[in-house]
Amino acid sequence: MNEFFKIFIIPGGLLLIFMLLSLVRLILGPTTPDRIVALDTINTLVVAGMILVGAAYEEVIYVDVAIVYALLSYIGTLYVAKYLEGRTKK
Amino acid sequence: MNSFVEIVHIFTLTIMIIAALLAVIFKKLLPSVIALSVASLLLSLEFYLLHAPDVAIAEAAIGAGLTMAIFIFAIRGTR
Repeated sequence: MNEFFKIFIIPGGLLLIFMLLSLVRLILGPTTPDRIVALDTINTLVVAGMILVGAAYEEVIYVDVAIVYALLSYIGTLYVAKYLEGRTKK
Repeated sequence: MNSFVEIVHIFTLTIMIIAALLAVIFKKLLPSVIALSVASLLLSLEFYLLHAPDVAIAEAAIGAGLTMAIFIFAIRGTR
């Protein structure tokens, strides 16, 4: 069982490091599109992490949460992109 | 595994607090809404890690979808 969890620790740690790097871009990003892309990257990494935790705990409903979140997470990016499109045309 | 889960909890909560502070600190409205969305996303992840997937689904639907869309509509109305 311990060996089984050790398999999931390495990609979990890598996902945490990537989320931290994306957060640095979200904090420092000079323009708003940089921050939007960083938010979308964090969303994707969180979906990957949810599937990873679901595989580690061997629970099917956790993968369902990841599916629902993947369906919902792009809506915010979509609305901000629409807002920015309206702003740049002006 | 247990200590790793604790590390993930500390990491998630720390970044959530940083994102919530950024939502207050940012001067422009749109980056502030983006930081609020990050805080909501990490709150959803925290519910998920605490073995409450149904609460995580509700938080993701309300936080990531509804709140951000409504705030963007409100910011569009301010111009």
